[in-house]
Amino acid sequence: MSNSVFSVISRFVEEYRSSTPNKLKMIDAYLLYILLTGVFQFLYCVLVGTFPFNSFLSGFISCVGSFILAVCLRIQINPQNKRDFLTVSPERAFADFLFAHTVLHLVVVNFVG
Amino acid sequence: MQFVTFYPNSCPCRHLSASRQSVTLPAVILILVTMILEDFKSVVLSIYPVSGLFSLLVLSLVLETQALTPTHHLTTTDVARLQTLLSQPFTDLKSAYYSVVGLSKLGISVADAAETCRFIKSNLDPSSVESLFFAAEASQALPGCEIPVSNDTRDLLLATVSEDSTASQIHQSVSALSSLGLPLASQEVVSALKARISKEDNVLTIILALQTASRLSQQAELGEILEEIEDLAARLDDLGGVYLQFEEGLEATALFVSAAYALSDHVDMEPPLKEDQVIQLVNSIFSKKSWDSLSEAFSVASAAESLSNNRFHVPVIVSAQGPAAISHSQPFLRLQVTNVLCKPLSSASVLVESATATSSKSAILSQAPFTLRDGVFELNFMASQPASGYYQFSVAIAGDSRFVANHVELKVKVSTRVSINNMDLSVVDKDQSIGPKTTRVEYPAKAKASFMADSHQIFAMTFQLVDETTGVELTPHQTFVRLHNQKTGQEVVFVAEPDSKNLYKFELDTTERKTEFDSISGTYALYLMVGDATLENPILWNVADVVLKFLDEEAPSTIQAKTLYTPKPEIQHLFREPEKKPPTVVSNAFTALVLSPFLLLLILWFKLGANISNFTLSPSTVLFHIGHAAMLGLMYVYWTHLNMFQTLKYLAIIGSFTFLAGNRMLAQKAVKRLERK
Repeated sequence: MSNSVFSVISRFVEEYRSSTPNKLKMIDAYLLYILLTGVFQFLYCVLVGTFPFNSFLSGFISCVGSFILAVCLRIQINPQNKRDFLTVSPERAFADFLFAHTVLHLVVVNFVG
Repeated sequence: MQFVTFYPNSCPCRHLSASRQSVTLPAVILILVTMILEDFKSVVLSIYPVSGLFSLLVLSLVLETQALTPTHHLTTTDVARLQTLLSQPFTDLKSAYYSVVGLSKLGISVADAAETCRFIKSNLDPSSVESLFFAAEASQALPGCEIPVSNDTRDLLLATVSEDSTASQIHQSVSALSSLGLPLASQEVVSALKARISKEDNVLTIILALQTASRLSQQAELGEILEEIEDLAARLDDLGGVYLQFEEGLEATALFVSAAYALSDHVDMEPPLKEDQVIQLVNSIFSKKSWDSLSEAFSVASAAESLSNNRFHVPVIVSAQGPAAISHSQPFLRLQVTNVLCKPLSSASVLVESATATSSKSAILSQAPFTLRDGVFELNFMASQPASGYYQFSVAIAGDSRFVANHVELKVKVSTRVSINNMDLSVVDKDQSIGPKTTRVEYPAKAKASFMADSHQIFAMTFQLVDETTGVELTPHQTFVRLHNQKTGQEVVFVAEPDSKNLYKFELDTTERKTEFDSISGTYALYLMVGDATLENPILWNVADVVLKFLDEEAPSTIQAKTLYTPKPEIQHLFREPEKKPPTVVSNAFTALVLSPFLLLLILWFKLGANISNFTLSPSTVLFHIGHAAMLGLMYVYWTHLNMFQTLKYLAIIGSFTFLAGNRMLAQKAVKRLERK
């Protein structure tokens, strides 16, 4: 069983390395960064305590929000999804990404205290 | 058994009023009527409601005919005060008139008549009608004082009697003519008065007209003026059913009374005033006991005189001499029966129509006369041997058909002395194995031996309270048993209650009552307190000493005096403690940990071959990046310094700028991408 799992994983990694364009790989790296930041924040909360709770929430929500926006950007930029996003050009996707981030950061900074 | 606990320095006296309310008769009738109506509605609809309504009608009639009695009247001190006010030395003719005539109305003659007469003559101004009026009236009241009259004076006075003079001028001239003994034409006066009344319809004018008419000859047609009394009486204001007065004030009301009765006496016709109205007028006029001006005092004096001496209505004032209380030492109920001037009515005969006890409603006396002695009517009520308590007397004053308010209700108290019989003290064992040893104590001695009671025993006390003279058993309002610990100053008060045979019992069970005593053992002095409104000798009797033993372990170590009114301990406010923060090392470590993925990102991007080789230095690109950096900087400043409104303001400016630049830049990028394709 584990053999098949391992082979599936290695196959997936191969495919990923070969077929994903560079732009998407960069966004994936960004996604990994956001994920780790969120995980470390959560780890602090679990280990040390929830004081100050609002700061933790705002930080965590910021990570989650950024992750979601980056995923949206990745989906919209992906050339394989072009047919789904005929009206949205990659530049437009990026502009939306920036605008959404502005709003997210406004809220996050308001809540972080 | 009820109990009350006190601590030292507090008053143990408490008045327990036996509140047994007797249902009044009208209420009972109403209740019965409604019950009847409810039950037999369907069957006898035609008969019962009518009878119910009829009984209600009869009841209301009975209630309405209950007459008023004066609530305000002049006492002898008030009359003396009135006299003093009127006896003031006079400064001018007007005050002389008020003083002299006012005092004569009170039946008092002026001190120095000759001097007064000279004063009047010297201050007389023969050319003034008013001056002539004052002088004439005053000299009439003084014996042997004659004012010289000339023809001019007479002509002046006669000329004033016309329609054109004011009512007071007509009044003054007619009175002066009449007092000086000069002839006058009554019919002319009547027509002048009628004309005056029709022109000026105010109260004072009509009062003056009434006064004037009383000086005219009886042959004149005074009928119309007489009718004015009734019209004027209708103008009186009824205040609460107690007072009846003109809105013009006390003087007008008093002058109205004296004028109305003067005219009524003159024509010998009863004035159209009902008895209740007369009493209400008495209340209004005599409610003021100190008078502002001489004219007010004069008006009160003339009203008092007319109410005492007229031919039709004489209000009777009945008051008890001293408190209306009777006892064996004072068996006579004394009543003063006077007229409004506080002069005793010697022609009256005072009768008790009925005397009923308020509690039992049994009649003690019926139709018993009072005897007159030294101007006071007295009755020996104790001769009928009433039990102690309150009695409702209904007194009637007869003897003259003119008497008004001659039925009076009085509440009389009969007090008595109480004596304590058969005071038995005993200590009974709870399990009744040892028989009780009863000790009898006689008032006011104290029991020689003290009584011991611990948790196995009950201390009991029985006694009887009787009337000293008649031996009838009494149940006074206050029968308290007080236990006082001399050492600690503690006192506990209990109530002793009578059983059905009026034998008072008090039982003290130490285990039951230990909370009141705070379980403090020791010697307690036992007092019996007996009191009541109808008792002449309230009793405080130290009967015995009682040694109570409680279980020692329950006693508090120190006696806490109940401090109700000392300041309480101050409450310190505890502010919310700030939450415990983790040590700085931990925080710093985790900050580094959280920031570390950024390094990872940079490494990954480097490995993936991210570069800025496509960075064109076109102005829009540069501006976009500057604007974007400014927005991020604004976020930081927002976190440290600003509030949302300021941030939004700046964000709007920077954002729109960045948007324009970014739009331009991305458009250029798109064009380039499409070109590459």
